[in-house]
Amino acid sequence: MSILSFAGTRLVYAIPVLVGVTVIVFMALQLVPGDIALTLLGRMATQDQLVALRQELGLDRPLIVQYLTWLAGLLKGDIGNSISQQLPVTKILIPKIGNSLILMAGSLFFVLVFGFILSVLSAPRFRQLTDKLVVGLTLVLASLPVFWLGIVLLYFFGFKWKLFPISGMYNMVNPGGLGQLLHHMVLPAIATAASSIAVVTRVTRSRMIDVLGQPYILAARARGLSRRKIVLRHAVRNTLPTFANIGGLQIGYLFGSVIFTEIIFNWPGIGLLLFDAILQRDVPVIQGCVLIVALVFVLGNLISDVIVHALDPKQR
Amino acid sequence: MEMRSTAHRMTSRRRAGFAAAAATALALVLGGTTAPVFAADNTIVFAVESDFSRLDPHASRTWNTFKVLRHVFETFVEEDLTKGPDVEPELVPALAESWDISEDGKSYTFHLRKDVKFHDGTPWNAEAAKFNLDRMTNKDFEFHQKLSPGLMGWMWQDLDNYEVVDEYTFRINLKQPNAEFLRRLTSGGSGAPRMISPTAVKTYGNDEIEQHPVGTGPFKFVERVVGEKLVIARNDDYWDPARRPKADQIVLRGIAEVATRELALVGGEVDIIGTPSPDSLDFLKAQGIEIVSGNSPMFYLMWINMKDPHFKDVRVRKAMCMAINRDDLAKYQRKGLATPAYGVLSPHGPGYDPAYKDCEYDPEGAKKLLAEAGYPDGFETRMDWTFGAGADVNTKGDAEWLQRDFEKVGIRASIEMFDNNTFWDMMSNGMREGTGLTSASWGDSTFAWLDQVVPTTALPPNCCNSGYYDNPKIDQLLAEARGAASKEAMDAKLHEVRDVIADDMAFTSYYTASAVYAVRPDVKGFVLSPRHWFDLTTISKQ
Repeated sequence: MSILSFAGTRLVYAIPVLVGVTVIVFMALQLVPGDIALTLLGRMATQDQLVALRQELGLDRPLIVQYLTWLAGLLKGDIGNSISQQLPVTKILIPKIGNSLILMAGSLFFVLVFGFILSVLSAPRFRQLTDKLVVGLTLVLASLPVFWLGIVLLYFFGFKWKLFPISGMYNMVNPGGLGQLLHHMVLPAIATAASSIAVVTRVTRSRMIDVLGQPYILAARARGLSRRKIVLRHAVRNTLPTFANIGGLQIGYLFGSVIFTEIIFNWPGIGLLLFDAILQRDVPVIQGCVLIVALVFVLGNLISDVIVHALDPKQR
Repeated sequence: MEMRSTAHRMTSRRRAGFAAAAATALALVLGGTTAPVFAADNTIVFAVESDFSRLDPHASRTWNTFKVLRHVFETFVEEDLTKGPDVEPELVPALAESWDISEDGKSYTFHLRKDVKFHDGTPWNAEAAKFNLDRMTNKDFEFHQKLSPGLMGWMWQDLDNYEVVDEYTFRINLKQPNAEFLRRLTSGGSGAPRMISPTAVKTYGNDEIEQHPVGTGPFKFVERVVGEKLVIARNDDYWDPARRPKADQIVLRGIAEVATRELALVGGEVDIIGTPSPDSLDFLKAQGIEIVSGNSPMFYLMWINMKDPHFKDVRVRKAMCMAINRDDLAKYQRKGLATPAYGVLSPHGPGYDPAYKDCEYDPEGAKKLLAEAGYPDGFETRMDWTFGAGADVNTKGDAEWLQRDFEKVGIRASIEMFDNNTFWDMMSNGMREGTGLTSASWGDSTFAWLDQVVPTTALPPNCCNSGYYDNPKIDQLLAEARGAASKEAMDAKLHEVRDVIADDMAFTSYYTASAVYAVRPDVKGFVLSPRHWFDLTTISKQ
């Protein structure tokens, strides 16, 4: 199967998943206790005013009608107005998606670079000190909760040693510049990446250990190839599909993790928006955010499948 | 075996290579690009506890939003908030130079200031005032803000009509006198009766006006990025030269995570933060940060479930009140940034008397009362509590403190915590079966909030007489307080409200939180007020 037709097929398979996602996103929020009208009008509102507002917002219509109206809007790119800000949700959401993707890309960079370096460092030294240190490190990284690691990074690198800014994407007074953006991104990207680095390292490392045990590696060694060449030319190449697969799977996971990091680092992305929206019970915004996270998850997995398909001849 | 030893031999050089590469990577990562950039000369970056609500004053909510809006929009009168947190603010002229109140107290005639323009150049006059009153209260008006009536019942409940007398005279007629009318005009947080440019509303419509908030105030709106920042800048043409802002610009941010807020402050990215954690105060002081704290009208009220089989007995309710060691709670649990509170009148609100107590701390007496009520061995109940929002910090700690106090007299309470929205939804439905006590912060500089808590009109399904306190006498007393001819008469009526409620022990309170801000040393002129908001015109970096 050619890559294009493979990608096309996978895309078609993704559609029912996405429809399912819209149903779950819509219904889940109906289960959350609470009344949008009350949130809008506050404690000072009378019962009559609440009933009138519910009617106006269509909250008194049957659920299925509400869902279909919402879905029809979604297909037209309109998922309603934010309750707390009275702006179209898409208008608020789109710049935040960009900001979160930037942070996710930064995290993915750290995941891939450190995941690769740590795997190449440890696998060829199976059960030696370096390997044990790497395994220990991954155990620590995997166990650190993002919100804790974030605060610790902030405290040392932001506050104590003043190496990095503490919050936001740009300076608030003189914003601008790629340098400023990268500088602001380092700490949140590392905090987001930590547990994914561990996952990628552990999976890639064990695949590489398998590969290094294969007869053709022994044959290569017998022919006198240096270890460097064996690792880089043979072991790495044959580990690459696994690396790409597990790395790609992190896309969705990282996008989910930035929700926590963004709150700690006040990074103005989807996560921070979602957090504020939950606090203010801004249901249209919550729906939009969850939908985007789900979409990135599905697309991330799709991309990773396509890359693996391209890298691994056995799957063609 | 052979393979491992070869591998081992090969590693020493390689290991050094990898170490060097890792060190380089780390250095690249840690080196960053530029040093932290500090705020420019006279721009203040101010971080509050949550992002802001809508910027349309007639539809906006939250005290944090009003902290900003009151500087962009104005109304007929204003409170002078520059005298500090211990001084009752004086009512001063704003968009009205002066005003007359009719003898029956029902008619307010405002003589408007003639030299005022909105930020877009639209002149301020009686037509502009009428446009705004229409927008807030007239359901048939083309630009009526539909959320206004629901949000602003506290302001316009006594409104009869209003009229343009001449270009610079505007009259508001009330159905009954309202001793707090002028004070309420200066207030906000659930809508704000402030004046927006009619031209701007006509140009952008009700949907787009959020992005073009045009008022007459000392600051102009510059930019809003939802979830990121809200920027206001000095209005150099402001009509009162004495109140022209000292700062060029204020960048306001909502940073919900308190640790991030504190670190951003000590890191110099932010100049002032609201509500640092009480546990961080020593740390902040050690970094040279100034802690500014003072009186606030925010106190913690306790609702008691009058339908609960235990608490329906007034002796049990009184015992509960007597079981709370308010002094220690304020001193130890709140680290001194609180004062003990009693009764239902909020500090700095009308009728407040700091010496008043609805009960004395007396655990032995409480036990005796419980025994009389038939509970010599106490009983079990539940406390429904909220984490709160905005300036609420560690309310769970308060609940645990109270739980321990109650335990000492035999009231064994479990605690259930709820997020703020869920909590208030529950409050509209009335307290749950099995829940004896519940609490949240409230209180304000006018007594409008009491109308929402104690009268029978606020019984479920309305918010928030959630403990089912059904006493029509209170309704009558509150109406009389509002209609009182003088402040003294109003205070006297409110004392009656307070005392009736204390006799019934339908509500009590336990502490008043101080407003706490942490300020970098180069910021000058930040003054607190005894309100939920303050005046930002005095603040600067020079």
